[in-house]
Amino acid sequence: MSSLEVVEKKNRYGKSFKSFLNEWMILILFIALFLISVVSLPKFRTTRNIMNILRQASFISIIALGEFFVILIGNMDMSITSIIGMTSIYFSGMVANSGVPVFWAILIVLLLSAIVGVINGMLTVYGRMPSFIGTLTVMNILKGIYFIYSKGLPISGLPESFNFLGAGYIGVIPFPVILMLVVALILHIFTQHTEMGRSFYAVGGNIEAAKLSGINIKFISVFAFVICALLSSIGSLGLTSRSLSGNVMIGENLLFDVMTIVVLGGTSLTGGRGKVFGVVIGALFLQVISNIMILMSVNTYWQWVVKGIILIVVVVIDANSKHD
Amino acid sequence: MAAENLIEVRNCTMVFPGVKALDNVDFTLLAGECHGLVGENGAGKSTLSKCIIGDYRMSEGQLFVKGEEIHIPSYTVRKSHEMGIAIVHQEFQLMEDLNGLENIFIGRYEKRGPIIDWKKLQKKGEELLEYLQYDLDLRVKVKHLRTAEKQIIQLAKALLDNPDVIIFDELTAVLQEDGIQNIFRIIDLLKAKGIGIIYISHRLDEIFECCDRYTVLCDGKYVNSGFVKDIDKGELVKMIIGRELKNVYPPKSEQFGDLLLEIKNFTSPTSFRDVNLEVRAGEVVGISGLLGAGKTELLHAIFGNHKLVSGEVLIKGEPVKIRNPQQAIKYGLGVIPDERRLLGLNMLFNIRDNTTLASMKFFKKWKVFQNHRKEAEAALEINKRLNLRYHSLYQLVNKLSGGNQQKVVIAKWMLRNCDVFLLDEPTRGIDVGAKFEIYSLISELAKAGKGVILVSPELEEIIGLSNRVYVMYEGKIMDVVEGENITQEVIIQDLLGVVEA
Repeated sequence: MSSLEVVEKKNRYGKSFKSFLNEWMILILFIALFLISVVSLPKFRTTRNIMNILRQASFISIIALGEFFVILIGNMDMSITSIIGMTSIYFSGMVANSGVPVFWAILIVLLLSAIVGVINGMLTVYGRMPSFIGTLTVMNILKGIYFIYSKGLPISGLPESFNFLGAGYIGVIPFPVILMLVVALILHIFTQHTEMGRSFYAVGGNIEAAKLSGINIKFISVFAFVICALLSSIGSLGLTSRSLSGNVMIGENLLFDVMTIVVLGGTSLTGGRGKVFGVVIGALFLQVISNIMILMSVNTYWQWVVKGIILIVVVVIDANSKHD
Repeated sequence: MAAENLIEVRNCTMVFPGVKALDNVDFTLLAGECHGLVGENGAGKSTLSKCIIGDYRMSEGQLFVKGEEIHIPSYTVRKSHEMGIAIVHQEFQLMEDLNGLENIFIGRYEKRGPIIDWKKLQKKGEELLEYLQYDLDLRVKVKHLRTAEKQIIQLAKALLDNPDVIIFDELTAVLQEDGIQNIFRIIDLLKAKGIGIIYISHRLDEIFECCDRYTVLCDGKYVNSGFVKDIDKGELVKMIIGRELKNVYPPKSEQFGDLLLEIKNFTSPTSFRDVNLEVRAGEVVGISGLLGAGKTELLHAIFGNHKLVSGEVLIKGEPVKIRNPQQAIKYGLGVIPDERRLLGLNMLFNIRDNTTLASMKFFKKWKVFQNHRKEAEAALEINKRLNLRYHSLYQLVNKLSGGNQQKVVIAKWMLRNCDVFLLDEPTRGIDVGAKFEIYSLISELAKAGKGVILVSPELEEIIGLSNRVYVMYEGKIMDVVEGENITQEVIIQDLLGVVEA
């Protein structure tokens, strides 16, 4: 047996065109949508608008990449909105009110988020709570805690320099876009080329088989929640940086978009299937749709309707594709 | 002519994607006879009975019930029920928290207005028991009943609609000797009333004891049928397996090495107690027992996947603690579970990823990244050795046949280079050809100095492969049989809890 044979077999039969289409349907749709918009909407094709789309997609895709890991292992994290709110409030509070240096404040909120992730994971793995319920409960508890701290009011007074994270540019490219690409690249390599990365797929695909194959399913599951919390927190810091103030409502409407993005990106809601760059493209897709609607002056309420319909269509397609 | 047949199946073919489960099978059932339907696991007995009751619709062929031809495309379980066909399964389709009476009459309560008339039901239930000549308190919750009593409830439920045909689907597999005798008595009763019985069982002795005629299936094909009194057991066995028994199993290895695994005083809170067992290099150790004897739980306990109250494990003479599968794997154990789709394989993974799932850490690049090419080469080599039939390493395992899926599970542990293989029903749901391949694989593993623990409900398999057999009965090791003493008679006696004086 030669290694040539291995490669040859992969090329000849490994990926049929149909499975390629299935996997990258969202990419093809995205390219089509993008081209149509470029051709038909003059306001769309300006560099400024394109950069705007990329920038707006960047932090939400970082957050969605966090949720991706939890969905990949077949669970769901509803607490991300509160992790985002908590990060925003405590970071701003520490920096603006207590004079903690930005660097230390970032480390502290990331640590706090990681702890929340561990709690989410423990409730699911050891408490055997359905993750939907467990994280929903955590969401409300956290919300209560940071509302008590901030009395529901925004916290302003962050240093101007912190604005770079969310609004800075390197050349013509917004800094958040670069950050998103770096995060996505690292996570891509992590999921596709490391033992631990493949373990997430193994746990999501069949947790019992993973356990009997010697994978530490408890650790992997908890870790997925931790990654989710950390990335949500990073996303929150970016959003906070854009407005230079801590806001309790900052994550409020994000959960729906995040779920839509993860599923749009080809992640199976029952776990075990999905790709990091699928999620990034899902985020871009949703952002382009929003952008088009804004350019065409569709009002916000109609945008909710359209996004809702998109989610329904995608989930129905995903659920039915398993029945062939 | 056809009118005398309660059931007549002509040229029945049943095709599932990728498998021909039945191929041109004929079958007839007369009124007042008990007809034994025999064959190996996967021979098509259950498929045929499911075709008869309308659970499956045969792909080709004709079905006559009491001389009337059935329109296959619109045939359903409900319809077969109306035509007077009932089936009683080995698995209990009873609601454990309801009592016997409720179970018998569920969905068919006698009511007075909207109120259930329990008195009337009680009377009817007692009539049914009288008919079966069995004494049983119908007011007791089913979960408190003994196995044999649950079967009576199932039978009573089947008899409720005065069926003309009753299928006994491996009803006796979980029964003890007195329970089986009681079933035979009931069969005689039913026969006397002109009811036709299709009797499915693995135990050939039962066929000779209670059946009038037999039909043998092998690999989904009709082999023969005739009167039971005209044949002997040897002839029947030959028909069932399609060849002489001797040739089926590879010769057993005779050379044993050091002790690989010893377990002492294994006790689980629910399933087994005080189990001692040992495996040497080159040895196949069989564990035999009825359903619910605790075999699977024991296997999982050895693998660190089942709670223990007490127990010691020695690996190559060294006492160790195995608390979870990771540790078990570290000490050189590998498990091939009974439910390969639920426990053995990740259906969303391709062949390569399933094969390397337990040994990813051996294929690293710079200690961090996975070396995909090396993984593929190793997976390809091992699967070629197992004669896996596939077209690409990158195809998903859910498209493989059962036998080939099982080979991937075995490949996973061969790649991990385990010392002891724990096999739980490795040939469940696998066609006969692949079975033989698995058998020779098991014997090759033993010859290569591995230890094998084999759990199987099929006695023949245990007898044909094992050097030593532990017989479990209700969670206890009743007997250990070695070498020449491993015979069907000895093990069956142990299995049924009949202890020789």
